Amino acid sequence: MPRKPWSDNVRAYALNAPAIIVISLLVAYPIGYSFWVSLHRDNLKQPLAKRFIGLDNYLSLFHDDAFLASLRVSALFVLVVLAFTVVLAMTLALVLNETFRGRGLLLSLALLPWAMPGVVNGLMWRTVFDAKTGALNGLLTQLGLVDGYQAWLTSGTGAFFFTAMAQVWNTLPFSVIILLAGLATIPSELYDAAKVDRAGVLRRFGQVTMPWLTHPLLIVLILETMNAFRAFDTIYVLTGGGPGSATTTIALLDVRTVLTYTDFGLGSAYAWVITLITLVVSIGYIALLYRRGNFEV
Amino acid sequence: MNAFTRREALKLAGLGVSASFLAACGEGGGGSGDGTVRFEGWDYEAQLVQQNLDRFARLNKDIRVSYTPITSAQYVQKVVAEFTGDAGPDALYVYDDSLAGWVEAGYLQPLDGLAGVADVYDSIYPSNAETMTYKGKRYGLPYYTDSQCLIYNAEILGKAGFTTPPKSLDELTRQALKIKNDGLLEYPIGMTAQLSDTWWAWVWGLVFASGGEMFADDHTPVLKSKDPTTKNVFAWLRDAANKSKVLDPASLQLLPVPLDNAMMAGQYAFTIGARYALRTYNDPAKSKVAGRMKLALVPGLEDESKGTVSNTRMYGLSANTQVKDKAVKLLTYLGGYDRDKVPYTAKFWFMQRGLGFTFTDLAKDPDVVAALKKFADPVVYQELAETAHARNVLDVPWYTEFETEMHKVVQQVLTDQATPEAAVASLDKTAGDLKKKYS
Repeated sequence: MPRKPWSDNVRAYALNAPAIIVISLLVAYPIGYSFWVSLHRDNLKQPLAKRFIGLDNYLSLFHDDAFLASLRVSALFVLVVLAFTVVLAMTLALVLNETFRGRGLLLSLALLPWAMPGVVNGLMWRTVFDAKTGALNGLLTQLGLVDGYQAWLTSGTGAFFFTAMAQVWNTLPFSVIILLAGLATIPSELYDAAKVDRAGVLRRFGQVTMPWLTHPLLIVLILETMNAFRAFDTIYVLTGGGPGSATTTIALLDVRTVLTYTDFGLGSAYAWVITLITLVVSIGYIALLYRRGNFEV
Repeated sequence: MNAFTRREALKLAGLGVSASFLAACGEGGGGSGDGTVRFEGWDYEAQLVQQNLDRFARLNKDIRVSYTPITSAQYVQKVVAEFTGDAGPDALYVYDDSLAGWVEAGYLQPLDGLAGVADVYDSIYPSNAETMTYKGKRYGLPYYTDSQCLIYNAEILGKAGFTTPPKSLDELTRQALKIKNDGLLEYPIGMTAQLSDTWWAWVWGLVFASGGEMFADDHTPVLKSKDPTTKNVFAWLRDAANKSKVLDPASLQLLPVPLDNAMMAGQYAFTIGARYALRTYNDPAKSKVAGRMKLALVPGLEDESKGTVSNTRMYGLSANTQVKDKAVKLLTYLGGYDRDKVPYTAKFWFMQRGLGFTFTDLAKDPDVVAALKKFADPVVYQELAETAHARNVLDVPWYTEFETEMHKVVQQVLTDQATPEAAVASLDKTAGDLKKKYS
């Protein structure tokens, strides 16, 4: 008797089953487990004190000075990184969208930082910002802009700014690629028509380019917000979170809480708050920009 | 001949993945499954460690050791991650800072009753034995110990007209100011003050040298209420960094290795560091200032130094090791006596790199004495060992969190973002909150 053929639904599930199983094991289970851990008092230094405490870890965050301070640092870090990334990426993408000699080389150079791991990026910038032998000091001294070598990372403001710049340098290429891809989809006829209508450069940018870049920009905003909010390796290498708490972001505090203090319960709660905040911000972006174009999900 | 179909290839690939997965699942609990002793340590002189382990392998042909050096900055995190994943090593380095936490976490097992352990504990400095003991049980065999000292460049001091090192912090400021005003160095004092996961020994050293304590023996913080020493040391630090400007602001960007390089390049006249650093600083092959670097007692707030701080690094035994006998043999080789009743590895490290020894008898060993004279004054070296004591909060589970907070607070003092009063008040509150949290 011939075997009854599988329906499309069954076949689809069967074919996807291996991937679903792997994703469930490697992604869904750890995520779910981390939430379960966040509901416990779970510090490896006190295994006997481990117990279910419900939402206490989350409630304790409202009067957790270290958490609140790191949240402020992270929020400011995201704003600064995002502002610089969007402006610089847009500028670079507009330049690279033009046809000129050496464009390929410039494009390759612009993409280079993206290939650099965060730790290496941190180490490189630490060398550049070094107070004794740093290239930045050498350059500024030779240009006569500073009298002597400066310790750039020793003031709270300086450390914060330079750390943010190091992060921008590392993540900028991704945004450039997204925006460049968006620019490539804009029909040239629109610009021709705008020129016939005597629209200037700024007007063409505002009336033609920007509306077409709404969706690529949305992707850039969402992903760069997530990146900046979760920034860890560059900051860890560059300043360790200092001076004081000036560059202690929520991600840095989280890693320290889990791996140095071995407080897995509280650390997991931090991680979920990070997830929740990035989710809310992402929804905010979509709500804001969705209506401004024919965005399709 | 049968064709090797795509279906068969997929089956084989699936088998391979399954086998790897099952093999990985079965690897937990320490040991590699073939009787090899898995040994891990931070990456200080990994080649020398391997050289010493090769000797162990020649002496113990039935024991195979797999050694993994882990970068120092990540050591604690990586070991915690491994033990959490039930894949910890059989034997490992342990910081005294981590001991209490790792015992409480169930990573380590006590060594009491094992052959030779009691002999070792009877032969080492009491402060080291005490540091390796937690709740009455012995958990470590000694790797090395060291005390903090003032390290100074005698040539620079000589150029400024000084023939002896400073005995107090005020004198240190005066000498540093003279060096600065004479145009010899812009910032004569350098410290390691970048945030990291290792302890800031020099802060504890300055407090102990001034006769103070941060905690009472019952772990109650006294730095705000009863003992003003820490506050006064912080005041000196703030002034040195911001008023007299003799302490390099770049210290906030300095980790231990860059500081060593700066010292060996003659960029600083003073620092506070471990005694063994002198071995490298005075090595002509590595240092431009070899032969000019000296050690002295850590200056304090009073005219005479009241002591210094010591640390103990040890070898520990995993609680879940499947190769206990072999691992114990390795531990004994590394941290105990050999058949000739010589603490071979402790002596090896001193001779090779000047790492301080915990075995009191080694101080009289002719080889050790001769080697010591090449890089340090034996009298001062010994005095530092005798006046040093350990931090009395190492056995609380919240020590690491307090230490991390202290780093931030000291950075705020150095950058004049916090007054000494506010700094000690903040630390006092931190200690109180941590005690409550862990109670």
